[in-house]
Amino acid sequence: MSTMARGTTAGSPASASAVPRSEAKAPLRIVASAPGAVSVAGVSHTYDVSGRVTKALDEIDLAIAPGRFVVIVGPSGCGKSSLLMMMTGLTKPTAGTIVCGGRPMTEPDPDVVGVVFQEASLYPWLTAQDNVEFPLSLRRVPKAERAARAREKLALVGLQGFEDRYPHELSGGMKQRVSIARGLVQNPSILMLDEPFAALDEQTRITMGDELLRIWAETGKTVVFVTHSLSEAAYLADEIVVMSARPGRIIDRIEVALPRPRTYEMMSTPHFAELRERIWRQIRHQVSEG
Amino acid sequence: MSLAMASSAARPALSPAAVRLLLGIAVLILWEALPRLGLVPQLFLPALSQTLAALVGSAAEYGAHLLHTLRAIGIAMLVACGLGIGLGLLIGSVAPLRRTLQPLASGLYAVPIVILYPLFTAWFGIGPQSKIVFASVYGMLPCLLGTMAGIQTIDRQYLTVARSMRASRWQVIGRVLLPAAMPTVLSAFRVGGALVIVGVVVAEMLTSSEGIGYLISRYRTLLDSPHVFAGILLVVLLVVLFGALVQQVERRTAHWRFSTRSGEAG
Repeated sequence: MSTMARGTTAGSPASASAVPRSEAKAPLRIVASAPGAVSVAGVSHTYDVSGRVTKALDEIDLAIAPGRFVVIVGPSGCGKSSLLMMMTGLTKPTAGTIVCGGRPMTEPDPDVVGVVFQEASLYPWLTAQDNVEFPLSLRRVPKAERAARAREKLALVGLQGFEDRYPHELSGGMKQRVSIARGLVQNPSILMLDEPFAALDEQTRITMGDELLRIWAETGKTVVFVTHSLSEAAYLADEIVVMSARPGRIIDRIEVALPRPRTYEMMSTPHFAELRERIWRQIRHQVSEG
Repeated sequence: MSLAMASSAARPALSPAAVRLLLGIAVLILWEALPRLGLVPQLFLPALSQTLAALVGSAAEYGAHLLHTLRAIGIAMLVACGLGIGLGLLIGSVAPLRRTLQPLASGLYAVPIVILYPLFTAWFGIGPQSKIVFASVYGMLPCLLGTMAGIQTIDRQYLTVARSMRASRWQVIGRVLLPAAMPTVLSAFRVGGALVIVGVVVAEMLTSSEGIGYLISRYRTLLDSPHVFAGILLVVLLVVLFGALVQQVERRTAHWRFSTRSGEAG
């Protein structure tokens, strides 16, 4: 259904009337059913720790247009990772709905959303190649096809020639490259990353940020990226979503005006400094309390 | 600690492997020399050469009984490890089952099951069945407990990742839990398998009509020490061979575990 819609809108304008997607021309309106679109509506989350009910997320609304690079930033414990896990379908919110690429995310769907975790998410008993093939093998994709697709994704993340290495034979940055390749291997339209570079040293982190931007530019995926690093947020994002400490709320959404492709030198521009400061001003009180 | 420092500070004399080899040779030499010099009565410890002569002289008899023992060990090992690892995976991965059954299994493990052997012979006769059942139960518990422990120590992240790829329950068990628990399962198998061998031989020594344990026990009543020691030697060889076999399997399937730490730093 959605593939048909895509075909017709791209084709002749005459058939556009038959498809509600023509509304998408209206600015700021995001069609939740478009591949790559993310819509979070009224999402709240409470949990129970030995009888004490804690509100972790409070009325989150967030719409992300296809192909955007959105970074969610906030103090630790603000529920940004929880929110991301709900967007991937791994956990269920207490209230509200999440729709990715037209599908309600009541459970994970690797054809729609690829997930990259913080660290140690590769299976150490599998080689890089087998790790990337793993999701395909779960679906019984024929051996030759999954080998080719995994090799292609490993090449995309710059790991040609490392297919037969085991995770313990790879550096931290290389492991995250493998994770990204694995997240992309089923060609989802959306890639979600939960503090993927948090465990890396600063130099590797900057390099990996550049690599992710290159991969994003080459593939045109929608990227949702969670971090606690202000610089990382400002450097990578089209839009920064700032969250408050518990209960997590969206307290600011910032458009990043820095041109693409981003370069390291931009980090010393006044605009970059302003961005960092604007985020910091809003979360500093909460950080000092935490 | 100070010893280790001293030895590392000293010139590299002998590798641990060389020391082990020398120790082995020394034991063999003593085994031959002590009885021959009359320092130990031949009845208590027949010389190595006498033992080997007894082994070679009755090779056909030992061979036939060894086959019985090996068959019993083979079947008991399949049952013990199959059931132990299978149940361990199931119980270890289902939390309510684990909470109920784990204390029970560890409690049972502390019971010396040998005391049940007279019962087993009453139930299954003195043929191969009773020793197979006995050795299976004896070896199953460490396999079960080890597998359960292996499942519990698995990084939860592995399961989250599998869920994010929509692995089915069976895929999670077969493709994630089992390989992740493999190193622990193998060390459990090492203990359980050795106990199966012990179990079969002990059962044969207690009440049985065939097998190496039966031979040891029979020759002991005849006060034929060389033949007793020949049997013991065979059992020791069996256990050593089993250990080497498990080690090979570990090298092949669990290599990643031993190198994980060093990789983490790089």
